[in-house]
Amino acid sequence: MNVNKRYPGFLIYMVGAMIILAFLGALVANQANKSRTQIPVWGEVPNFIFTAAYNEEPFGLEQLKGGLAVLNFGFTRCKGPCPIMMPNMAELYTRYKNSDKIRFVTVSVDPEHDSFSVLREYAERYGVTDNRWVFLRAPVEQVAELCEGGLMLAADELPMGHTTKFVLIDDLGQIRSYADGTDKSSIRLLEEKIKILARNI
Amino acid sequence: MRNFRFMAILTTLSTYFLIFIGGLVRVSGAGLGCPDWPKCFGSWIPPFSVRQLPPEIDPNTFNLSLAWIEYINRLAGMTVGLLILALAIWAIIKYRKYPKILIPSLIVAPLTAFQGWQGSVVVSSELEPLIISVHMVIALMIVSLLIYISLQAYYYDIKLSAHENSYQAGIKTWAGILWLLAIIEVILGTQLRQAFESAAELNPLMSSSELLKIIGSIKFIHPLVGLFAALFMIYLISRLLSRKYQPSYLIWQCSWCLSGLLIIQIALGIIMMSAGLHAISQVMHLWTASLLSGVLFIIYFSLRQKGEVE
Repeated sequence: MNVNKRYPGFLIYMVGAMIILAFLGALVANQANKSRTQIPVWGEVPNFIFTAAYNEEPFGLEQLKGGLAVLNFGFTRCKGPCPIMMPNMAELYTRYKNSDKIRFVTVSVDPEHDSFSVLREYAERYGVTDNRWVFLRAPVEQVAELCEGGLMLAADELPMGHTTKFVLIDDLGQIRSYADGTDKSSIRLLEEKIKILARNI
Repeated sequence: MRNFRFMAILTTLSTYFLIFIGGLVRVSGAGLGCPDWPKCFGSWIPPFSVRQLPPEIDPNTFNLSLAWIEYINRLAGMTVGLLILALAIWAIIKYRKYPKILIPSLIVAPLTAFQGWQGSVVVSSELEPLIISVHMVIALMIVSLLIYISLQAYYYDIKLSAHENSYQAGIKTWAGILWLLAIIEVILGTQLRQAFESAAELNPLMSSSELLKIIGSIKFIHPLVGLFAALFMIYLISRLLSRKYQPSYLIWQCSWCLSGLLIIQIALGIIMMSAGLHAISQVMHLWTASLLSGVLFIIYFSLRQKGEVE
């Protein structure tokens, strides 16, 4: 019996199979590792329709979807935390100026005073030149409802008692993270999450 | 017996594939990808997104990739289990008169069922290292039995002549000892990994090279025994491939496989020691070891086969 002994066929098939499996296995192990850096979903942003100051047209959840958004609350007459928080938001707005994957939203908690023109002027003060950063206006009850009911943040005695949190919302309208808008280190962590989420858009 | 032999070989190869997937699950940390057993997050097909989770389950426990890796492991496990069962039934019905096929078939079927159940213990123990190692050792036992069945079917088919090869009796003993040594190396390897993992548990921020420094003697024993085994394997291969002894087709092929596996294994060992413990090199290292022990097993029983024909 001499069945072509000079040709080590088993070895060649085996090594071939091992190379293919090693490659596929590396992909799987890599994917598993990547999935561990996943960012949890805290909840869904409820549907809302407010009005954007820049064009005075409706702006709501639908407009947020498709990209990331960082949302906060504030008002133009605010003397408390806003002078610290708003420059931080402006810094993010400038940092991501070359990306259409992320936009910024500030909701006024003082619609009585913050008319569209007041909000536009306020935006200009922070260097806003395009609609990547929008300022929204709505009746104060609706704002409180979004803040407390939807985003799970405090909204006692608006306008003074508004939250200073930044909320990171993903392209599906889900809440993915919070940051303290007056704390730079907290915002750095938020930027890490933005980087990870932006990969999937 | 040609079809039966084909089926036995197919089952053996599928079992090796399953061992590979099992190793991958281990290093991916996907063992708890499905926290329940046999279902996955309460359903037979795992959820595709966090929204499909039943309300009583905490969404933080769900990881889509890990759930699906573990689920594919279970699907593959079930397929292989059914293949083994079919093989055993086939053997009982048609090859009752061949004890060398019947007996291992009678052992392998309940052992496989036990392995399936033991898989559920692995999950419910939340991946207790010793229980995972038992899972691995049983897998090696199952695959050895399957190789034995395939080999017996093969020898029945080719009706090997007594003059086929002419090795000295000593070489058979060498092959047997090396097979045992390979199994011991696998167990030592799992010990090393356990030592590594418990060190990592206590020192969560240490890199793998720092961890290696604080691990005890097992980190020397495993590579030393490996090196020792490798030297004897080179000797065995040189004897087996010598034309003087007229190696049979199977022994000739297996010896080449053994050389290839040996080179791969040494290369992986060096990569892991110098470039860190990457997930895929760990899987391949263990998988190569299981292939290597399987090939040694074939060589040992092929050498024995000749003696019995005489």
